[in-house]
Amino acid sequence: MSAAPAAASRVGVDAAGVRRVLARPAAPAVVFLAILVVIFGLSAPGFFTFENARGILASVAVLGVVAIGVNQVILAGDIDISVGSMLGLCAVAVGAVSTAVGGLILPLLAGMAVGAAVGAVNGSLTTFARIPSIIVTLGMLYALRGLTLVITGGDWVTGIPAPTRELGTGMLLGVEVPILLLLGVAAAVAAAGRFTAWGRDVHAVGGNRSAARFAGLDVTSVRLRAFVLTGALVGVAATILVGRVGSVTTDTGVGLELQVIAAVVIGGTSIAGGRGSTLAALIGTILIGVFLNGLVLLDVPPVWQNVVLGGLILLAVSTDAIRRRVLEG
Amino acid sequence: MVRSQSLSRELVLLGVLIALIVAMTVASSLFLTTGNLLNTSRFYVEPGLIALGMTLVIVTGGIDLSVGASLALVSVVMGFAYSEGVPLWLAVILGLLTGLLCGAFNGLFVTLLDLNPLVVTLGTFALFRGLAFVISDAGAVSQFPSWFEVFGQYYVGPVPLQLFVFIAAAIAVGVLLARGRFGRYVRAIGYNPRAARFSGVPVARTTVAVYALTGLLVAVAAIIYTSRVSSARADSGLGLELDVIAAVVLGGASIRGGSGTIVGTVLGVLIIAVLRNGLFMAGVPTTWQLIVIGVVLIAAVFVNEFFRKDEV
Amino acid sequence: MEAGSKQEETVIACRGVTKRFGGQVAVDDIDFDLRASEVHALVGENGAGKSTLVKMLDGYHRPDEGALLVGDEEVHFASVRDAERAGVAMIPQELDLFGELTVAENLVVGRDRPRRPWGGIDWNAIRAAARERFEALGVDVDVDAPVKQLSAANQQLVAIARALAGDARAVIMDEPTSSLSGDEVERLFGIIRELTEGGVGVVYISHRLEEVFEIADRITVMRDGAHIETKPASELDAKELVRLMVGRSLEEGIDRDAAEAGEVVLDVRGLGRDGEFSDIDLTLRAGEIVGLGGLIGAGRTEVAETIFGARHADHGELHMNGDPMTARSPEAAMREGIFYVPEDRQAEGLILELEVEDNVTLSILERLSGRGLVNREKSRSLVRDLRERLSIKGAEDGPVSRLSGGNQQKVVLAKALAREPAVLLLDEPTRGVDVGAKAEIYGLIDELARQGKAILVISSELEELLSLSDRVVVMREGRLTGEYSRAEATQENIMQAATGVGDGG
Repeated sequence: MSAAPAAASRVGVDAAGVRRVLARPAAPAVVFLAILVVIFGLSAPGFFTFENARGILASVAVLGVVAIGVNQVILAGDIDISVGSMLGLCAVAVGAVSTAVGGLILPLLAGMAVGAAVGAVNGSLTTFARIPSIIVTLGMLYALRGLTLVITGGDWVTGIPAPTRELGTGMLLGVEVPILLLLGVAAAVAAAGRFTAWGRDVHAVGGNRSAARFAGLDVTSVRLRAFVLTGALVGVAATILVGRVGSVTTDTGVGLELQVIAAVVIGGTSIAGGRGSTLAALIGTILIGVFLNGLVLLDVPPVWQNVVLGGLILLAVSTDAIRRRVLEG
Repeated sequence: MVRSQSLSRELVLLGVLIALIVAMTVASSLFLTTGNLLNTSRFYVEPGLIALGMTLVIVTGGIDLSVGASLALVSVVMGFAYSEGVPLWLAVILGLLTGLLCGAFNGLFVTLLDLNPLVVTLGTFALFRGLAFVISDAGAVSQFPSWFEVFGQYYVGPVPLQLFVFIAAAIAVGVLLARGRFGRYVRAIGYNPRAARFSGVPVARTTVAVYALTGLLVAVAAIIYTSRVSSARADSGLGLELDVIAAVVLGGASIRGGSGTIVGTVLGVLIIAVLRNGLFMAGVPTTWQLIVIGVVLIAAVFVNEFFRKDEV
Repeated sequence: MEAGSKQEETVIACRGVTKRFGGQVAVDDIDFDLRASEVHALVGENGAGKSTLVKMLDGYHRPDEGALLVGDEEVHFASVRDAERAGVAMIPQELDLFGELTVAENLVVGRDRPRRPWGGIDWNAIRAAARERFEALGVDVDVDAPVKQLSAANQQLVAIARALAGDARAVIMDEPTSSLSGDEVERLFGIIRELTEGGVGVVYISHRLEEVFEIADRITVMRDGAHIETKPASELDAKELVRLMVGRSLEEGIDRDAAEAGEVVLDVRGLGRDGEFSDIDLTLRAGEIVGLGGLIGAGRTEVAETIFGARHADHGELHMNGDPMTARSPEAAMREGIFYVPEDRQAEGLILELEVEDNVTLSILERLSGRGLVNREKSRSLVRDLRERLSIKGAEDGPVSRLSGGNQQKVVLAKALAREPAVLLLDEPTRGVDVGAKAEIYGLIDELARQGKAILVISSELEELLSLSDRVVVMREGRLTGEYSRAEATQENIMQAATGVGDGG
């Protein structure tokens, strides 16, 4: 490590620079992912193929799109555990519009609109009514699930016309659409996170809310927008899911929130807020997908999946805590 | 929370409960019968027991999302140990130990590494459930000797036995929180961990203890549950944590820690029980019940926060 | 630019400003002005009102009476943002930066960021601007580093740069050098000089008198919320300054007979914590009150917390009644017979949401309980006795947050007394306490010493230190710099040992 401070401010590969890259939120997850890919590549038959890789990405597209949204909420210092029920409700909206008028755009917009509206409710209750977000989204988790069941009357929505299913089953330029959507959403939100005022303000609000207020940021608006964005993205994810599965069941989305928070946390975003990145959410999602896929290829019984997921979460937060202590002295 | 403040909150809750009972009685004449009430109570002893422990956890400023999963794990450990030839009474003890260990595991992770309880218990939520599936291999044990039914299916006259268990536990934990030294420590940690430490409160030990105690209560609930449904399976207790947390928060505990009482939690459990059962008896579909619970939860916390602004 | 007129131009001022908190007057009818290109130092003891005054200039507080002026116009600041827009920036003692964000970004949070043609944030421009800003300050800081990785000194530079990036014409610095080393202080002074050359006025609050003399053009002394004197620095010397800061009658003190100190109860040898303090030797005898003086940041609280087990020592040993002792936690220290009353009673001494009884008994619950349950009768009667003994008034039935500062402090003391420690460490025991309660607390401390307790009093109020202590020990920048018996100790020599100023000032 260079002693002279002058050297440290040079741009380029140097000790401080390397240290900084390693200190980035997503770094351990990336390293872990690389290690996993190598391990599975060597031990699991059929892992290291293009088809398998695409299969993994396609299978986690729904999870990833939602996780990228929830990541923003968590960065801003809140949390959203209602996304599973939101997904169910949005899927119903997509299904309903789809079976009524067909096409792709309208059902997609319907899903996004419903999602954004729910997100707005979550955000408003959290910011204006000052109810802790964990409680708001816990209550919404119940209420939305009930609402979905009431609307569908317990019936499934089936017979989704092909055009609507494009987002789930279509191919574009030889790549599955869900994968393109996942990467596209990731790129878009990452870009917003880097190049828009809101994207930066999210980090400030989540990192030091009082300082953010003093700096003149509209903390309420920043938080609210994170919730609304999440809702809209859930709508997109719902359309992908409906496309892939071809129907909407009473169980659609149940349990999603666990996987979403797992993805975000495993990827390196801090649950406390202010620290993390879209890349972290994406890598975390892919990690989960790779792990589950690897287990399948290795013929590990599916009953082990939850154990693995839980272990991953505990491992991720523990290593993060230890790494922080080491890097920051 | 000052005694007078918590008392007024509990009175409000009692008022709400009574109002609900009245409303449900109007909606269905079959609601307010001893038969119905006693029968319903059977279903709420398990979340009720766990809510007692969860109250302590939330009062320290933490949370435990893994209780449903530990319930399943305890049930499975007990059932499958028995089916492998372990005498049932020993299997029951093993179950209790499992619950205790699950809780201690949570507590140690939270204290030793100073991690966020939300994330730790999210991890154990998956881990414990997963272990339950692995041990049971997604199967179930349903053959239990008839004496085992005493935990969940036995009646003392018209009253289900487990109700007494719940009442006893509620009194014990209630006294512990309100009158015990341990309870004072728990509250101090929840309101101001720094000041608590400076006052010589054993923060680490107390924190581990609340999670461990919750684990133990989960184990008791698991035994009752397994006995009641005569089945040990890994998908037991799905969604249980939500009911439990909802009851505790409804009962006046703040998610930030410090405030909350056992009386409040018991009232919270009762309110949810009355709501659910009352709506059911009135012919309202389960789906609407979910909506009502969700709305009630949010509204209750809103009201709580509203009054909290006047305190301190 | 006409140099002459610029010198005299007032940047910001206040006239007849008064501010009250609850019943107490924090700032009383003050006139203060800051001119362009000047460094105007504001000095005074703790509680003199300096912080409150500048917080009004900064828009954080609103004056109850009087007017604020920018230039020659009267203004009203509704918020800190208003003040910022008017060109006033404050760098508080506790920096409020965004640790996870880079240095460059910290300069632009909440402000209009430069944009690329396509609408996105122009990071290159932000980084370039930041680099320029730091070059202008003459320092080399990595603008891409997250702020949390920077040293305290560099973080402060970031705060200064941020203040300047908002085109401030008045910069207020509150104890800017409390965490800086000698070189870093020089660097800061260089920056301040450049600022003033550019027309900016700087309000400089500090306890470090030698620094004040080095950098200030004018010095204003405050005491007990009132304005005492404003003079050009050239017309004052250290001794005079000290006299102005502290000069007040010693009536409020107590009369301690030369106490017969008993056995050594606590013996501290070579205590040190890397980066905080080193080579601390301290002996506390039964029946003796030792005063620990020094400036803010000297390390006194850190020493006390280490003795109490709230912090871990890197070096040194402690002996309690002759036996070696290692307290790894406050709980353990209490068992050895040591009790610490923290400096920040609201954050560390009390649990504001709880009642008096719960607070007072928190440290002795073991003694009050049988079979795990707290004996209410014992608890209540103990608290009743302590209430009476300490004259604690108020909040018979409510949280301690309702009590006045003085009564709150008494509750903390009651908690300490309940424990019946052999050694009592009191950190600023009368901060924010009114005169009446102060006298009562002094009486209590005296009485406790007579009962045979060994007492350490940390205080920044010189006359309190002098009147209470049998011996005064002084720290400066983590080391012991002086020890005086009751007979020898004077305000001047304590201040000199604390500031390092003057051998014949």
